[in-house]
Amino acid sequence: MESISPFYALSTEVKYSPPWQDLSIIGIAGSSGSGKTSVAMEIVKSLNLPWVVILVMDSFYKTLTPEEHRMAHANEYDFDCPDSIDFDLLVNTLKDLKQGKKAHIPVYSFADHQRQPQTTTLYSPRVLILEGILALHDSRINDLLDVKIFVEADMDVCLGRRVLRDVRERGRDVDGIIKQWFKFVKPSCTKYVEPQRGISDIIIPRGIENTTAIDMVVKHIQRKLQEKSEEHTEALRNLGLIAAKVDLPDNVHVLPATPQFQGMNTILQCPETEEVDFVFYFDRLASILIEKALDMTPYASTNIETPQGNKYMGLKPEGTVSAVAILRGGSCLETALKRTIPDCITGRVLIQTDENSSEPELHYLKLPQGIEEHYMVMLLDVQMSSGGAALMAVRVLIDHGVQEERIVFVTCAAGETGLKRLTAVFPKINVVVGRIEADLEPRWMEKRYFGC
Amino acid sequence: MAGKDPIPSPAQGVGPIYRPDGEKPTATVSKEVSYENVHVLSQTPQLIALLTMIRDQRTTRADFIFYSNRIIRLLVEEGLNHLPVVEQSVTTPVGRAYLGVKFEGKICGVSIMRAGEAMEQGLRDCCRSVRIGKILIQRDEETCMPKLFYDKLPTDIADRWVLLLDPMFATGGSATLAVEVLKQRGVPEHRILFLNLIASPSGVAEFAERFPKLRVVTAFIDQGLDDKKYIIPGLGDFGDRYYTL
Repeated sequence: MESISPFYALSTEVKYSPPWQDLSIIGIAGSSGSGKTSVAMEIVKSLNLPWVVILVMDSFYKTLTPEEHRMAHANEYDFDCPDSIDFDLLVNTLKDLKQGKKAHIPVYSFADHQRQPQTTTLYSPRVLILEGILALHDSRINDLLDVKIFVEADMDVCLGRRVLRDVRERGRDVDGIIKQWFKFVKPSCTKYVEPQRGISDIIIPRGIENTTAIDMVVKHIQRKLQEKSEEHTEALRNLGLIAAKVDLPDNVHVLPATPQFQGMNTILQCPETEEVDFVFYFDRLASILIEKALDMTPYASTNIETPQGNKYMGLKPEGTVSAVAILRGGSCLETALKRTIPDCITGRVLIQTDENSSEPELHYLKLPQGIEEHYMVMLLDVQMSSGGAALMAVRVLIDHGVQEERIVFVTCAAGETGLKRLTAVFPKINVVVGRIEADLEPRWMEKRYFGC
Repeated sequence: MAGKDPIPSPAQGVGPIYRPDGEKPTATVSKEVSYENVHVLSQTPQLIALLTMIRDQRTTRADFIFYSNRIIRLLVEEGLNHLPVVEQSVTTPVGRAYLGVKFEGKICGVSIMRAGEAMEQGLRDCCRSVRIGKILIQRDEETCMPKLFYDKLPTDIADRWVLLLDPMFATGGSATLAVEVLKQRGVPEHRILFLNLIASPSGVAEFAERFPKLRVVTAFIDQGLDDKKYIIPGLGDFGDRYYTL
């Protein structure tokens, strides 16, 4: 063997940044009733991408004390001054998201003026629209914003909208709303809201009607996304270049090409194979992969007795084993999985590769509760070429608390570069591969399995 | 519980090679035999855990069936690897050339009733619509020797590879008689593969010597036989646990 190349040392530092890391945050501020929400919704609608989310600052209202609570019900609590918002929590949440981590968003009840015990999780958005009257108030937040928007409307219009909204959606009476408006909303507007205009990048007068301004914002975001997508694809390519210099590591387990295994692979790859035969042999082959993966689970010694009362020192599996299928391809392996563990807890993650940019995109995620406690999580995919989807899926699992060494990636066929790339970034995972195929092999097996 | 065989079964750390010995849990693994025609499945932690499940008297019948089926599939997969293949090159759906292999030769299963029939499901999981013959062998009350009571075999069995199925291999009396029956029907010895779950060291040794061209594939070679010729530690009566208990 050649002397170890310096790239090997590099590989311990190889990092993968998912595309949702360094997300774009758009702040939209403006007086109550100015049309911030409508503008935010219009931007989301125009972008028409699944990973654009709106974060409403109302979620970050502080929980009120009993005294404040009483005042709030008497419309005497000032919800429009910066003190009512938990800016520290908001800043931390945005920082987590900016690092690509999972964030817990508080749920605020307007009826109780309380933060609810449950939270909603926010993970992997690539564009986040932060909307609130004071979205541009805190300088720590402004530092995180990519675009700062101020929505402007005539104050009469604002009041009219507010009355309609609060009566219809929040069950308030008109007297209370008017009282609150003149006591808090309007003064606060002058004192805190208006000054934000000065630091904004774009001022949108007339809110949603201003299609020219909204269009400009949308174009800007699209351009940013395009740049980031190119960077991500380029980073993936560079990972491949680094990875190509190392040997396949020990934690990649390629199944031995026994006559049967090779025979099954031949049947699967033969285009003349009937669909029923393809499914049959695929399930059979996949069962072998799953059995192999289960060798990686932790076991403990156990002493048992046979029906005749003989003692035997055997093994019993420890902890829960679960699986996560990378859709759509990974679900091909589920028949084999259920054959081996009929009640296997199974999560799902839909990662699609964009046909144009060949960038993997996370569309959907549903992981089992308590996955971080599981002793082994099998990550299933039918084929892996560049490893982009696998990298992303492993990253998703780790972000949800799964320890790297507990992840076993199981796939029927994989390209060598993709494998090296995956294990360079995540050196502690185990990989079970049925067959090494050419790099950049298109994903065809799932088409054969599902017949479309 | 004194077995005839004084040599205890080996206990060792079981686990993947990359894991250091200290991190591997200890378990009793299969005895080794030095016959070329006897193949013992690789003693992976997974296999040991499956065997532990079916040996355990507390295991319910549903679990017993499920876990023995899993082991049987592993046995069948290993057994099938002894069948011949010929090279075949295909052009894959994405237009690449792949030099693979094609299965050669017809096969059939023959189960020794009743416990052997429990292995048919596992066989069918791997070989769809495989022909399956049956042989009933019982102990003759007068001579105490195994006696052939019934058989129904594919008519063209002489042209096929035969996977002979019987989960427990103690003295090998029934299996020996079954092989004699197959040979009488014209099946050459080298085309018989005997698949079984747990074997006794003495049974497997006698069998391997008597039929040197036949291949035995087993999951585990146990410690020995007790006075009643039951395998120890074994797993009890396989047929009872699979069908009735």
